[in-house]
Amino acid sequence: MRLFLVAALAACLTAGSAHAATEIDLFFPVPVQGKLANEMQRLVEVFNKDHTAIHVTPVYSGSYDDTNLKTHAAIQAGKPPAAVIMSANFVREYVINDEIVQLDRLIEKDGLTEAAFMDQFWPALRLNATEQGHAYGVPFHNSTPLLYYSVDAFKDAGLDPEHPPVTWQDWLTAAKKLAKHDGATTTRWGLMMPGTYDYCGWITSGLAMSNGGQFYNPGYGGEVYYTQPSTIGAVRFLDTLVHKAKAMPEGVTDANAVTTAFFQGRTGMMILSTGSLSFVRDNMKTPYRVAFLPRNLDNAVPIGGASLILPKGNSPEREAAAWTLIKWLTSPEISGGWSRFTGYFAPRIAAYELPEMKAFIAAHPDAKVALDQLAYARGWFSTYNVVGVRKALEDGVQAVLSGKATPEAAMAKAQLEADALMRPYVEQTALKLPE
Amino acid sequence: MVALARLVARPLIVPAIRKRRSALAGLTPYLLLAPSALFLLAFTYWPVVQVVGGSLTVRGFRGAPHWGLDNYRRLFGDTHFTTAVVNTLIYAAGTIIPSLVLALLFALALIETTRLTGALRTLVALPMLIPLVAAASLFAFIFLPNAGLLDHYLAKIGVAETNWLGNPSLALGSIIAITVWKNCGYYMLFFLAGLAGIPGDLLDAARIDGAGPVQRFFWITLPLLGPTLAFVLVIATLNAMTQIDHVIVLTQGGPSDTTSMILFYIYQQAQQNFDIGRASAATVVSVGVLFALSLVSLRSLERGIHYET
Repeated sequence: MRLFLVAALAACLTAGSAHAATEIDLFFPVPVQGKLANEMQRLVEVFNKDHTAIHVTPVYSGSYDDTNLKTHAAIQAGKPPAAVIMSANFVREYVINDEIVQLDRLIEKDGLTEAAFMDQFWPALRLNATEQGHAYGVPFHNSTPLLYYSVDAFKDAGLDPEHPPVTWQDWLTAAKKLAKHDGATTTRWGLMMPGTYDYCGWITSGLAMSNGGQFYNPGYGGEVYYTQPSTIGAVRFLDTLVHKAKAMPEGVTDANAVTTAFFQGRTGMMILSTGSLSFVRDNMKTPYRVAFLPRNLDNAVPIGGASLILPKGNSPEREAAAWTLIKWLTSPEISGGWSRFTGYFAPRIAAYELPEMKAFIAAHPDAKVALDQLAYARGWFSTYNVVGVRKALEDGVQAVLSGKATPEAAMAKAQLEADALMRPYVEQTALKLPE
Repeated sequence: MVALARLVARPLIVPAIRKRRSALAGLTPYLLLAPSALFLLAFTYWPVVQVVGGSLTVRGFRGAPHWGLDNYRRLFGDTHFTTAVVNTLIYAAGTIIPSLVLALLFALALIETTRLTGALRTLVALPMLIPLVAAASLFAFIFLPNAGLLDHYLAKIGVAETNWLGNPSLALGSIIAITVWKNCGYYMLFFLAGLAGIPGDLLDAARIDGAGPVQRFFWITLPLLGPTLAFVLVIATLNAMTQIDHVIVLTQGGPSDTTSMILFYIYQQAQQNFDIGRASAATVVSVGVLFALSLVSLRSLERGIHYET
């Protein structure tokens, strides 16, 4: 009897697998808010319905950093996910560690060249998706830092909401005018920005780039420029905003506190990701506008956001299925829909040719500003050991924001730490010379 | 282990069959212990061996790993590690002393069982039922500068906006405050049990001899609470070393590393920098210290404890 049951079960299983769809999993982070997770769930259901040969299981994997951690752990354990939505600046580390599938072969199978494939995406996004002329990531959703400002606060401070600050000089003047002090308490800050890990490094790199800098070596993962004048100037500017102008709160403020203050009219301006556009639009009760990140020398911002990657170690069937999913998720229609839902850019240029996207941009001038800023966007800093290298800078900037260190001393320390973290890689690459 | 095995096995072997199965009898205790031994080996001793091995394995980038003490050298040369150790010491002192004192005071105040004290006991012990992660998420809103609950009420007495978690001078203090709030009710329960075990006639005798409440506390209650105190102290020390959920939720060790603690440092080395060697070395060092600490504290406390017989 038992034998019969086992046999029947085995028969069922083999029969089942003969017709079963290829099972793949997609790791996805939700960096902004929970409702994105539901939308991703819905998208995957649509995909599964349309592609009967593939069954995708979406796996919510926490923040960008958590997703990186879980992907690494899964690869080490020999069970890599089929596809991952990975923070765009982590892609380089996967290339360095040889844990990621080069996409050129899959692209060529579809009859395209790597260059033609990448040409479908905004130029600024290609830097973090390719490495030495090979494609490793497909941009999925992207963002840049953006200046948000309250129209009421601007009017109250005698500023013209039609003319937001363009240069750092305008910016400082506006921040000073917006800041309202009542004895020891501040009833309204001029400017606020998230200073917590991840956000802090991203915004600082944006300021260094607006100050004429590179911040990191876009072509090589072993160099950052924390002690160069462009970065020192950016950090000094933050120090001025906090300690000389008293226009920005001292210490580290997290993104929640920044948006809460903005919604309550307790800050006139804030720097936040374009990825938060929908969130701000839904929650801000008084009129607000957005503008480019002001410049000292150049208009420049780093990109943020995520790319889809294929970790190494999957069967060819799973890889092919995951590639189908990636192409579907980055198609103009899906890409545009996700962009309208979240506030992120659609990385596909063609998404903006669609009528619903044109209508959306016309109805939301803030989304238009964010899109226009993309013309000035640069790569997101990516190095070997990128999280640690970023944190070295952030610890320094946080010390400056808190009045515990001078910009020069803080950046000198950050550079030393970053160099130490990148040393193993540097020694095996740029410093490995023929003898 | 062998002694324990004999102890377990003894009542199970019936004398009549002992002779017949003497060969097997020697094995029985080991067979009985085998399942738990297997789990201990697989989930406790094997990971310990792996961590020690990992701490001695030096991995370069693209190089073949080799044995050495390099991870320890890098660990002790890392200022982040020193900061984490100092922070942990401050955190331990800052959480253990106030939560034990508060717990004891609450226990003394609520020792009589009435309807009111019953309700109050529940209130004081309530935070222990909330998972630390949830508590930390709640405090993220309480600590919000200006808009948070704490600042809202402080503003009514004229205290200006305070950046509780974003000011390097205050952040560790805020983390400590959450921990004290969270743990003090839990420790109170132990003290309540300890207090209930103190014989009433001793206290009565002291009262008749003319001892005041303060004298009764320091000469009778406190010495007799010795075993409870020793136990709670060890629990509190372990808690201080092993619970960092709130750090991960609220500050990620920031600003500028001011709330980084040893366990968080280990997590960072292993999961953010993928430096398993240094993470393992830090684990070995911290477990070693913890082990030595509990041995020393248990021994020295035992010496001063009045056990009732």
